[in-house]
Amino acid sequence: MTEVRPLLDVAERELRTVVRTPTLMLAGVGYVLLVGGIGWLGGTGAYLGLVLDLLTPVEVLVPVLSFAFGYRAVLGDRESGELATIRTYPVDGYWYVLGVYLGRAVAVVALVLLGLAAAGLVVPLTGQPQLSVIASHATVDSVALYLRYVLATTLFVLVVLAIALLVSAAARSTRGGLALATGAVVALAVGLDGALLGALTGEGVATGAPASLLALSPNSAYRSLVFELSVAPTGVVVPDGPTALLSMVALCAWVVVPLALASRLAWR
Amino acid sequence: MRAVTSVGVLVVLVLLLAGTGLAVDPGSGDQLSAVPFDRTLTTGLTGVDVERARESGYVIPRGQVFYSQYKYVVGYYGTDALVAGVTDPQQTAQFGQPLAVFVTDLAGTEPRVTDDGYVTLPNASAPAWTRAEDAWFVVGTPARTPAGPMAVPFGDRAAARAFAEDHDGRVLGWTALQDRVEDDDAASDHQPKVAARHRWADRAVDRARAANDRPVSTVVGTDERAVVAATERLSASTNRSPSAVVLGEDAPTLDAVVDDAPPNTTVRLLPGRYDANLTIEQPLTLTGTGTGTVLDGGGDDSVVLVRAPDVAITDLRIVGVGDANAGELEADDGSAWDRRIRLAYGYGDAAIRLRDAHRSLVEHVSIDTPSNGIVALDSDGAVVREVEVTGTAGFEGFMSVLPMYSRMVVEDSHFDGGRDAVYAHYADGMVVRDNHVENVRFGFHDMFTSDTLVANNTIEDVNTGLNVMSRPSGNVVVGNDVTDSSVGISVAGSASYVAGNVVVNNEVGISIGTTRSTYRANTIVGNEVGVRSATTLPTNDVFENDIVGNDRSVAAGMAALESWAVDGRGNYWGPVPGVDRDGDGVVDRTYDPTDAVDRSARHSPLANALAHSPAARLFDQFQQAAPGLRRPSIVDPAPLSDPVNPDRIPANDTNSSRTTNESTA
Repeated sequence: MTEVRPLLDVAERELRTVVRTPTLMLAGVGYVLLVGGIGWLGGTGAYLGLVLDLLTPVEVLVPVLSFAFGYRAVLGDRESGELATIRTYPVDGYWYVLGVYLGRAVAVVALVLLGLAAAGLVVPLTGQPQLSVIASHATVDSVALYLRYVLATTLFVLVVLAIALLVSAAARSTRGGLALATGAVVALAVGLDGALLGALTGEGVATGAPASLLALSPNSAYRSLVFELSVAPTGVVVPDGPTALLSMVALCAWVVVPLALASRLAWR
Repeated sequence: MRAVTSVGVLVVLVLLLAGTGLAVDPGSGDQLSAVPFDRTLTTGLTGVDVERARESGYVIPRGQVFYSQYKYVVGYYGTDALVAGVTDPQQTAQFGQPLAVFVTDLAGTEPRVTDDGYVTLPNASAPAWTRAEDAWFVVGTPARTPAGPMAVPFGDRAAARAFAEDHDGRVLGWTALQDRVEDDDAASDHQPKVAARHRWADRAVDRARAANDRPVSTVVGTDERAVVAATERLSASTNRSPSAVVLGEDAPTLDAVVDDAPPNTTVRLLPGRYDANLTIEQPLTLTGTGTGTVLDGGGDDSVVLVRAPDVAITDLRIVGVGDANAGELEADDGSAWDRRIRLAYGYGDAAIRLRDAHRSLVEHVSIDTPSNGIVALDSDGAVVREVEVTGTAGFEGFMSVLPMYSRMVVEDSHFDGGRDAVYAHYADGMVVRDNHVENVRFGFHDMFTSDTLVANNTIEDVNTGLNVMSRPSGNVVVGNDVTDSSVGISVAGSASYVAGNVVVNNEVGISIGTTRSTYRANTIVGNEVGVRSATTLPTNDVFENDIVGNDRSVAAGMAALESWAVDGRGNYWGPVPGVDRDGDGVVDRTYDPTDAVDRSARHSPLANALAHSPAARLFDQFQQAAPGLRRPSIVDPAPLSDPVNPDRIPANDTNSSRTTNESTA
């Protein structure tokens, strides 16, 4: 357990850095307002409706937020020379990267949860018109669907942040980091899915293609997980398949592999 | 403690809380229990069938469904309707899968089957509810509802078996019952129905008008010379010698003349004023010379009573009708479930009352009445045509034509004043076409009347042009034109077809109160509200209508989101945000006429710019998923880029600013 201390030291330092960077805080507040706003703008009285309303915007906004918080993490230390100093301490590369990841993740996840909470309040707080003479029941809609969505989104945040750290560790200059980060966000939001779409356009390919292709795109894996966890139980028709497990495994792999790569690159 | 630990712990706590979401199974309906039936949104068998069964103590099996995506409980009269509600893909797309289904449980109620096939409960017990998946249904027995054969539900297999053995039926489970009921696509294609009903009306008119060819047996007048002259002219031209009757000399009253006339002949009335409270009790044609022949009832009671089939009353004018709108409630004419309606409405004073007067004809008759014009009871095939009824100003008068239990035709007539132009009570299959109506409360008022054809009527300045109430089914409303009224067309019930109507300058153009009905190719222009959704069970097809130039295109209902398009074709709303890229006549963007931005995109540059933003497109994407859980609103996923009936839309409503300038220039 000797490594836990330096791990938490690094995480603490990262969190303080984030909190002391006004632009990041501004971005965070902006994100919370945006997601909350989308929830309230939709004004839906059902959690299922809210999940469907939020799905696409969040899928795009979460990478933007995560990269804003993550792409300079290792890169900043490298450029300021602090990385060289840290390397003289008795800390292994992967503990350093893990600490950075932990510190930043706490901040980003907290912000994402705040945003989703702000949006989620719309359902209990919006008065739905009600025909009092007609018996009503709770329907299949329940807060559980939304909570599942929150869980899936948190996992997605962790994935994207891990990729952001990889970019941060790989970049050697601010300009290069920015270019890589932008490229990565575009790739996540559009590129990977675009490539999959392109690969599947042939006749009969789409239905026959193995579901495991989902693993190639974190966004698709996340989306599929949300469909499986939050949408399918309500009777909205979603194709059957073992996608929940597949998506979970894929997303976990998308956390572990980039972090492992990042720790190799950071110390290089 | 470090900040990262405290924030981290907080985050983990929140995530643990969110993790409870995985432990709950939201798709389970096990905790649900049946609710009182009168608190459900009811559909299924028509209002008249339900009323008749209630009055006679017959059982109609009922069901209630809790849909996964609709918070209101839906009640069904009849097992067929219940099965359709659970299996119909359109219904499940709108409201989700059934979480729980309950049916009437007749176990322990000792049901009997009457000679007519109706099921009664001798010990007057109130049946309980049971879950459909635990229920057993007996089919193939003589048991029926007014609508057809009935699957008799029991919560207990032994009881079902016993009933099946007593009545030669077989027992089915819930799944087997669902497989057995075939798809009812009665609501799909209505064009043949329209043509068939027109054909029936044509035949009815031809048959009734045959009475115009009866030989003249009697010529009646008040002036002796005129009577003689007319009789001589007739004998010369037809080679027959009709008897000449001078009223007051040869016969005391007109009533006596029609009593004495040989059956299947014509009694011709020369111009003049006749005191008439007469009763016709044999097949006879009573004809005048137009408005110069006046039957005067003296302001008391009904003027002409017809109590035989195949009677014709033509070419005359009727005045002096009594002013009693309603009959005696104490009377008894053998009616049952609708006794009050039948006695009150069916026996008021009228210019002409048809009773058991099948295939009778009223043609070219002009009526002034403070109460009813023509009342028809139990007179199938009766025809009212080219009639002019002038009622009272205001709504104190009553109905111009009041068919009860009479499948009749009302055509080519003009109704002005009084309460309702045509009030139909349980007159299934009647046809109302090509009439002109103004200054009344309702143009056509449908009560408990199914399978009607209401076509090509012109209606203006009324409260409601066409008003279908009381949950009937299978009504067809086509090609009517309603202007300057409070409500143009208001339809309730199910499986109805409203098409090709033009509603202009009304407070509300069309009010949709139906289920499983079609609204197509209507022109809805210049109303305060174009289309109002008033149904709590939105299962209608609304498409290819032109809805333009209204203050508000639509008013959303109370229940849920409704999507108005069929097979990728929605409605024409005028210019809407978005473009038709592939030229298929459909704009590639969802239009939400209840949304503030979409609604004002045509007039406000800000709203227009916003409506085209990626953000707006993003929000629209999933808007139509899970409609039953959404806020009441209306979306058109496939708005049309061009009007369906451009010739019916005034030029200044298709392209606002430019043509307005031209027309004022």
